[in-house]
Amino acid sequence: MRRLALAAVAIAIALVTASCLGSTGGDTFEFTGWVQGAGARTFVNSRGYEITLTRAKLHVGAVYLNRARPTSVASGTTCTLTGVYVAELPGGADVDLLGAERAPFAVAGRSTSDHAQTGEVWLFGADVDDPGDPTVILDVEGTATKDGVSLPFEGALTIGESRVDTPTNPALPGAKPICKERVVSPIGVDIAPVEGGTLVLSVDPAAFFSNVDFATLEGGVFRDDDGDQASRALYAGLHASAGAYSFAWEEGEPAPDEQGK
Amino acid sequence: MRKLSVLAALGLVLGALPRVARADGVPPPPPAPGPPASVPDPGAPIDVAAEAPAAPPGDPGPPDPVSVDVTGTKPRPSRGGGDYRVEKGHAGTDVPHPSASSFLTLAPGFFLTREGGVGHAERIYLRGFDAREGQDLELSVNGMPINESGNFHGNGYADTNFILPEFVHAIRVLEGPFDPAQGNYAVAGSVEYELGLEQRGVTSKFTYGSFNTARLLVMWGPASMSQGTFAGAEIYTTDGYGQNRDGQRASGMAQYEGELGKKGSYRILATGYGVRYHSAGPMRRDDVAATPDGEGFGFYDTYDTRQGGNASRFSLSGDLKGNAGDIDLVQDFFVSRTTLGLDENLTGFLLDTQEAEQKPHGQRGDLFDLENDSVMYGARGSGRWGTKVLGQKQEIELGYFARGDHVESTRERLLAGSNTPYAKDADLTSDLADLGLYADLQIKPWKWLTLRGGVRGDMFLFDVRDNCAVRSVSQPDPDDPPGDASCLDQGRFGEHRESDQRATTSSLKFMPRGTIIVGPFDGFSFTASAGLGVRSIDPSYITENADTPFASVTAGEGGVTFLRTWPAVSVEAKSIFFGTHVDKDQVFSETEGRNVIGGGTTRAGWVGSARVTGDFFDTVDSVTLVKSSFDDTGLLVPYVPDVVVRSDSALFHEIPGIPEVLGSRFKGTLGVGVTVIGERALPYGQRSDAIVTLDASTSLAWKWFSLGLEIQNLLDTEYAAAEYAYVSNFRSQPAPTLVPAPHFIAGPPRTIMFSLSGNVGGSGT
Repeated sequence: MRRLALAAVAIAIALVTASCLGSTGGDTFEFTGWVQGAGARTFVNSRGYEITLTRAKLHVGAVYLNRARPTSVASGTTCTLTGVYVAELPGGADVDLLGAERAPFAVAGRSTSDHAQTGEVWLFGADVDDPGDPTVILDVEGTATKDGVSLPFEGALTIGESRVDTPTNPALPGAKPICKERVVSPIGVDIAPVEGGTLVLSVDPAAFFSNVDFATLEGGVFRDDDGDQASRALYAGLHASAGAYSFAWEEGEPAPDEQGK
Repeated sequence: MRKLSVLAALGLVLGALPRVARADGVPPPPPAPGPPASVPDPGAPIDVAAEAPAAPPGDPGPPDPVSVDVTGTKPRPSRGGGDYRVEKGHAGTDVPHPSASSFLTLAPGFFLTREGGVGHAERIYLRGFDAREGQDLELSVNGMPINESGNFHGNGYADTNFILPEFVHAIRVLEGPFDPAQGNYAVAGSVEYELGLEQRGVTSKFTYGSFNTARLLVMWGPASMSQGTFAGAEIYTTDGYGQNRDGQRASGMAQYEGELGKKGSYRILATGYGVRYHSAGPMRRDDVAATPDGEGFGFYDTYDTRQGGNASRFSLSGDLKGNAGDIDLVQDFFVSRTTLGLDENLTGFLLDTQEAEQKPHGQRGDLFDLENDSVMYGARGSGRWGTKVLGQKQEIELGYFARGDHVESTRERLLAGSNTPYAKDADLTSDLADLGLYADLQIKPWKWLTLRGGVRGDMFLFDVRDNCAVRSVSQPDPDDPPGDASCLDQGRFGEHRESDQRATTSSLKFMPRGTIIVGPFDGFSFTASAGLGVRSIDPSYITENADTPFASVTAGEGGVTFLRTWPAVSVEAKSIFFGTHVDKDQVFSETEGRNVIGGGTTRAGWVGSARVTGDFFDTVDSVTLVKSSFDDTGLLVPYVPDVVVRSDSALFHEIPGIPEVLGSRFKGTLGVGVTVIGERALPYGQRSDAIVTLDASTSLAWKWFSLGLEIQNLLDTEYAAAEYAYVSNFRSQPAPTLVPAPHFIAGPPRTIMFSLSGNVGGSGT
């Protein structure tokens, strides 16, 4: 009887130990995020223009990382991916893409430790579903030179009513919601966030202008619609998932005095 | 209006019933302050609080079985160490137990959380199972099932709030599927409420306390009749703690017990219940943590004040017991109608995805408005025959179970800030049937060895009409656009079809179950049990002619029980090791707002419990340790507690130094309940905070009157009753939040309640 009692006690102790061990797997934590400009202030685009930027400011509404593998297949009419979101910075950031300093996102981010393969940049002001949002997303100014001719330009792009694409099928009025215009996705990433790290979004403004033919630009001002090739191309570059945007996960929190590039 | 309906129905039932004398024709004994009588058949459900006559110390032999059948029920034979028949006793009565479900904690391993408001069923954890609101736990009262088959909120949803706690005489808890009589939902186990009223005469009780909570209770049971004859009703109202936790309810119950011939008895039970309430719902940890004091969200706040619900239940049940020749017969019947309305917003603004055929819209809000109406009817019966072989009693019991349910379920989503439905997620009409039979043998070759077990077979029938079978069309007719309607009547390319679709299927399941009991030796009995259990699947998963995807549980346990009674004290102690495996477990989905089918899970653990009862004290204590993990990954099952400790202890005695007044002495009670819940595993490798709560009560009684004070959460611990990690977007950030984040539902702060009761026509004090 005593042996039996001792065995029971031993097993009970083992169970106490075992029951307090283990995990559901993974981790979740908060992190900080930054957005910074990348690339040169002067560059040549695919149309042969040498472009010098004197102003390039971008408003980012939020960024997300997702576990889903990037795919070219459209994700229906929803503006979120079907996969599991890994990390988010659900607050805006305004960055001078020509400046030397990183701009912080307005809120702390939240992340899990899952491996992310897709990144998203949401370009909006207050409400991603509101077509009337007047927030200027991209504000640019500079000079484009080709064959010895310099063309000064400027532009302030919103993503609002002018970008609403009316569906051709009247039975599908919601086929092209405005949020689809505002979400830059999928951006390929290979990130496994870890606690204590920092998410950095780098934006190369040169990619915005890669296919802009400045000869079509009327009055040197980009239109806030698809009225000419130059305006169409700049907008296409702004929300192209390949080229302008890249994500990186940096170990350790940057000190306040080390936030510059 | 609903409260009036409840009371009116109760009055009709009471008025219609004949007055029946106590079955045995003798007045019932007064409530015993000490240990009640015993039934120490080594196989019978062990009830230390009911032990007598006392065995002399050192007497190794078990006392002869004594039948003390106070409420006309004969306990089923024990199925091993995990079979608990717990009378409330003083540990149940003198320690705060504000609801019928709270008595479950008198059995080891239970942890309850009331997450959805005062009218919502409590969430039940048992032995590593997250049994939700009863989906993995078969609950019944006097043989009438409580689980609601086909309930869209959770198949098997079991709301015990209609049971007045004062009428709970005892509970039988079988923590595992080891008895062939156990039916659907007996995955983690079964709970049977046995009703009775010890306080005879006419009693009224008024309770008032924190959060403007008031309760008026009236109940009566003639002293000349058995404890199984009683009636009573309550009205309850509260403003609730924090924000949006108010509620009102009314409930009534009446039972008559009488004799049927010379050897038989019958009982008829009628119940009526209605409740309307609000609930706070979950809060995001980061929203509350980021809030400066006095601004924004607080710990007991809510995001959406429309959350809450309503429920009603009306039932009539009865049983007949007797014997013909050498066969003991039992026949139960039951019928009930239940309604459930539930408004929950668990995710904020997340689920309203844009469909192409809809007009462009943003997120319109995720408040689910669920309505579930069901009618249940059925019967069960058994015949038990026994004979003596080898000088021991050998028995066989054959039984059946037949239950039907008609269920209508709808769930809509309401526009934020209004009660306007903008989408319909579900509209089901289900006719369900559960027809079972079993054979249960008792073989006792020697006095010290008992083998019990048999096999049960259940057939489940499903006939489900989905009245909203088409919710999206990829290529709609341009001339007949479906628009924003939820339930469409066209298929691909606009081809017409009706919006509904019917699916029928059936499935069979056979489940062997058995128990071995060796002993008792010097008060020790050794037991081992094994069995299979089953939980039927939510009707929303039914597809035409497809095999019903059962959830099957395989369970086993072994342990030792110590049971002794001395003249001044009775002791029951158990040590049990257990293991269970579920092939398709249910996992709560916040985005679905209900349980969804998950993968296989395995549990292993140990439970130790003891009840010690004496002339002036009664204590029930237990510790449960368990590890629950998923089969495929080996990772822990989230949310279930791996350490559960509970203690209910009461002291009761006449107050010394105070003389008799009008022939009665003053009596006092003091009760303390302690709950310790270990850090629960949460998704993404997180752990919840541990929970430690202390409840206390005291009372002073004299002859006709009693004054009481109850304090729940005496230490005023600010704790999360429930913690989750999932995706929500309550628009507390500038942009949508799409990553899983910690959420919690606040547990109640310190709650102080005073009570005054009066009793006449009973035994007095």
